[in-house]
Amino acid sequence: MKKTLLSSFVAFGLAVLPLSAQAGTVTVKGSDTMVILVQRWAEAFMKKNPATKIQVTGGGSGTGLAALQNGTTDIAMSSREIKEAEEEKLRARYNTPPTGLPVAKDGVTFYVNESNKVDALTVEQLKDIYLGDTTSWKAVGGADAPIVLYSRENSSGTYVFVKDTVLGGDDFAASAQTLPGTAAVVNAVSKEKNGIGYGGAAYAKGIKELKVKKGNDAFAPTAENVKSGKYPLSRDLFFYLRNKPAGEAKAFIDFALSAEGQAIVTQVGYFPVK
Amino acid sequence: MRSLLVTVSLLTSSAAMAQASTPQEALPTPTASEPREAVEPSATAPQAPASPTPPRANAPTVPEGSPSIDERLTADEHRVEALEEQNTETKNDLSALKKLRISGYVQGRYQYQQDLDDSGAGGYSRFGVRRGRLKATYTTEWSQYMLQIDAVPAGVTLKDAEATLFVPGTKQQLSVTLGQMKWPFGYEGPQSSSDREFPERSRVVRNMLPAERDRGAKVNGRYKFLRLAVGLFDGNGTDSGTTQDNDKEKDFVAHLGFDLKWIAGGVSGWYGHDMGRLPTDTFRHAYERSRIGADLQAYFDVVPLGGTSLKGEFIAGRTYGAANNATHLDVPAHGWYLLLVQNIGLNDAVAVRYDTFDPHNGQTDLAAGEVPGADNAVDTVGFVVQHHFGENLKVSATYEIPMTHAVAQALDPHDNLFTLQMQARF
Repeated sequence: MKKTLLSSFVAFGLAVLPLSAQAGTVTVKGSDTMVILVQRWAEAFMKKNPATKIQVTGGGSGTGLAALQNGTTDIAMSSREIKEAEEEKLRARYNTPPTGLPVAKDGVTFYVNESNKVDALTVEQLKDIYLGDTTSWKAVGGADAPIVLYSRENSSGTYVFVKDTVLGGDDFAASAQTLPGTAAVVNAVSKEKNGIGYGGAAYAKGIKELKVKKGNDAFAPTAENVKSGKYPLSRDLFFYLRNKPAGEAKAFIDFALSAEGQAIVTQVGYFPVK
Repeated sequence: MRSLLVTVSLLTSSAAMAQASTPQEALPTPTASEPREAVEPSATAPQAPASPTPPRANAPTVPEGSPSIDERLTADEHRVEALEEQNTETKNDLSALKKLRISGYVQGRYQYQQDLDDSGAGGYSRFGVRRGRLKATYTTEWSQYMLQIDAVPAGVTLKDAEATLFVPGTKQQLSVTLGQMKWPFGYEGPQSSSDREFPERSRVVRNMLPAERDRGAKVNGRYKFLRLAVGLFDGNGTDSGTTQDNDKEKDFVAHLGFDLKWIAGGVSGWYGHDMGRLPTDTFRHAYERSRIGADLQAYFDVVPLGGTSLKGEFIAGRTYGAANNATHLDVPAHGWYLLLVQNIGLNDAVAVRYDTFDPHNGQTDLAAGEVPGADNAVDTVGFVVQHHFGENLKVSATYEIPMTHAVAQALDPHDNLFTLQMQARF
């Protein structure tokens, strides 16, 4: 009987251990902030490596990291650091600590309508605005008009960044309208003269970027200020993998971090990490 | 060609009819104060009839009295506004639902155990439902509610019922929990059964932390890579057969851990008393119930097949094993386990575990004829292979070989166990 049991056990083992690998395709999912950048990387990479297909889809940082846990993506794009609980789930499921790689830098930018005469705000003023304590532009040197708040959905890494860094972990004002992507925020602010929104610097087209005041100086989210750390709302943009990069995923990441890949970062409007 | 003309004619007339029958006419016209920037192009609409180009014979004509483009755009604006209001309302409803998370899992099993000896005694071949968990968690900025029940053929029991306060201003790094919860001791005890590779916890954990839970209060804190959990509990556990503590003794349980991503671990301590009576006692007496423990988990990425983890834990203590009300009062015991897990690709893993438990430190192994003594140490080696079918279903096959320490003519019982388990979770 012992032999029968052991052979059944071995047979089961052999039956359930088919190695599955989808050669030639690397899937990348997650942060909407990073989609335009990673798509550009993918296009350039696939031109050089026609045998490899890079599939890039958005959905938000949380969505990408969930896909990494579920095994439905090879690389998760995230505009925030992975949470402890997400990391623990990945470790429990795949028995390896996930790898996180900063691939670009972003200055989280607050946008206002081009007609708004406010040019710069302190982080404290931004906090008061987004907590709903400051409700009129007049209080911060603007017109006597109500402030219309635009925010991102809570699956967004940018949402988490602003919540943690600007709001100190507190909740956004209930009046803040959540929009599904940074492009939607930019679009809304460009049409609403009393609007304010936030997102990646690469999207800041058709609206005015606010400088952030520190003491007597105000800093725009420029490459220089983000690199030097003078701009206080800069962050890393990450690739997360279940384990160390290997094969085609590694080749793609190596390309993203190469001089050519980092040049694309600048072209898109973000800031290189190297 | 004729059919084409007929189609065009039909479409034209139906479009005109649709315009005439739309409820847009019933909608109010905008007031002068309403913002109209978005519909500026419509200002050209009234000029349309003045166009020098005469309408073609088959062009759609606007019936007299039908709304102008400006009016239709205004009506559409109102519709969009109404949809936005509905959307906001739906979002408000959904934001409350987002705080509620319902999860659970079912572990269905087939098990085969050998006959204990050559007489044919013992052994079984049976199907069972080991766990049928349903868990509801509602998390807000400052608090968390958690209730978990276990529905199995033996009945429905309460596993967890916790109320947690996240200390304000600590970004949920510090919390206080009251209710029925897991003891903050070691690694395998608090680990979810749905995450474990082996169907059951190691022998030492099953004895030292029976049912893994108790009623009490717990403080959880995190600072950078350090984790601290300290609790005060009734001490008897949820398997003790009583639903209320029957004495004034309380047990202090704590775990201080660290997490450096690729390596994690910690040390645990437990001090308390259990009221009981040994055969030599006339009255009940408070016997020391204590444990110390150390655990370590390391995660590697060296094998090209997938991740590898090595986990181990040691526990030594006195007074243990409340399962089936069989408490071993004032008895010192210890045990440990070592577990190696190797992932193979995304969906498969193999694991091997060696665990040992000495239920009575310092007591010589015994034998009663061919049968080993009840307090002899037991080593168990187990192998498991598992496969994930998607994100919700895990199938595992486990073979465990317990080796009871035997002396003289006593024989190791035939108690090898095969477990085929299917776990579905959501």
